[in-house]
Amino acid sequence: MSTERDIGNIVRENLPSYQAPQSLREFVRANAPASDVPPPILVPRRRPTGAARQFLYAAGILIAFLAGWMINNSIRSRQQASAASEAMVAELVDNHVRSLIGDHLTDVRSTDQHTVKPWFNGKIDFAPRVVDLASQGFPLIGGRVDYIRGHTAATLVYGRRKHFVNVFIWPAGGADAGETSQAYNGYSLLHWVADGLSYWAVTDASPVDLEAFRLAYDANR
Amino acid sequence: MPHLDAAYTLARYLINDPSEVDDVLQEAVLRGVQYFNTLESDNNARAWFLTIVRRECYTAWSRRDGKMDSVSLETISDLEDAAISPEQTAERSLLRERIVHAVGTLPGHLREVIVLRELQQLSYDEIAVITESPIGTVMSRLSRARARLADSLRDLVDVDVGEMS
Repeated sequence: MSTERDIGNIVRENLPSYQAPQSLREFVRANAPASDVPPPILVPRRRPTGAARQFLYAAGILIAFLAGWMINNSIRSRQQASAASEAMVAELVDNHVRSLIGDHLTDVRSTDQHTVKPWFNGKIDFAPRVVDLASQGFPLIGGRVDYIRGHTAATLVYGRRKHFVNVFIWPAGGADAGETSQAYNGYSLLHWVADGLSYWAVTDASPVDLEAFRLAYDANR
Repeated sequence: MPHLDAAYTLARYLINDPSEVDDVLQEAVLRGVQYFNTLESDNNARAWFLTIVRRECYTAWSRRDGKMDSVSLETISDLEDAAISPEQTAERSLLRERIVHAVGTLPGHLREVIVLRELQQLSYDEIAVITESPIGTVMSRLSRARARLADSLRDLVDVDVGEMS
């Protein structure tokens, strides 16, 4: 027992600790959440007095009411739409992150498209296009089935250098649509609708890589 | 972000290539910032951030070949201690090299508990959270890690034990 204690001391006194390099500190600062930023300091202003003040108060309240009513009306509809898609984006990114933690990346692990595609049979009621894009720098790694906001999704997993691209696919409700790209917490997303299927590609690589992926995927029909 | 140094140190002990350590930390930071404001206490934040960093290290291993790294680390120098002779300095740095090598070549799951316990002086509870293992496992790993180190540094430890008996 005392040997163990001694070894603890020896180790403690002789092992180096490290300081994170400056570049990393800057990276943290660049990616720090906005709410950690101290609130701006408010400079007190000179106040108008007497009747002028009362009039300004009354006018201010009236304007605030009117503006509030108008803005509320116009925003509400837009908000509902964007809240839905924001929640979707958050869930897709969560799913992407989860897939990288532990062993959840693939249910069928194969670089062979002829293994991955049949694997989906009976698990989903649509047929996603499965192509290996290794020659374009996106080797097929495998696939899995996810459940995302009411959709059963076929998820294709591609590699991109040391990163991964998760492509979530499910039948689209509407017409084909061009691509929209966005970023969420440092992850990049690209969405498009083609051939009646809705595609969401999520990656921790760069948005440029996603564009390249889309081109490669489309070119391999 | 607090605890960045602790996180960096942990990653340095788990991943051999310093540039990969940077990658791992960046991933962990990106993963971390989105939840950082929801954490209550500082201790929570530390254990929680170290958990993420450790996971990222394991992910990095599994992306590569699934094998845990052995790490080779530089030793601390004794610049501040001018009182000791050059021979003593040389002797001490030789000793340090051996110790650092012994820790660096421990299996990853033993090395991480040594670093968390001896270097960062975390509690068993915290280590259990970070390594996502039961506390009993933490204790037995720590004891195994110490036994291995004592074994490979036997001559150093035996001196101490010999004095006691």
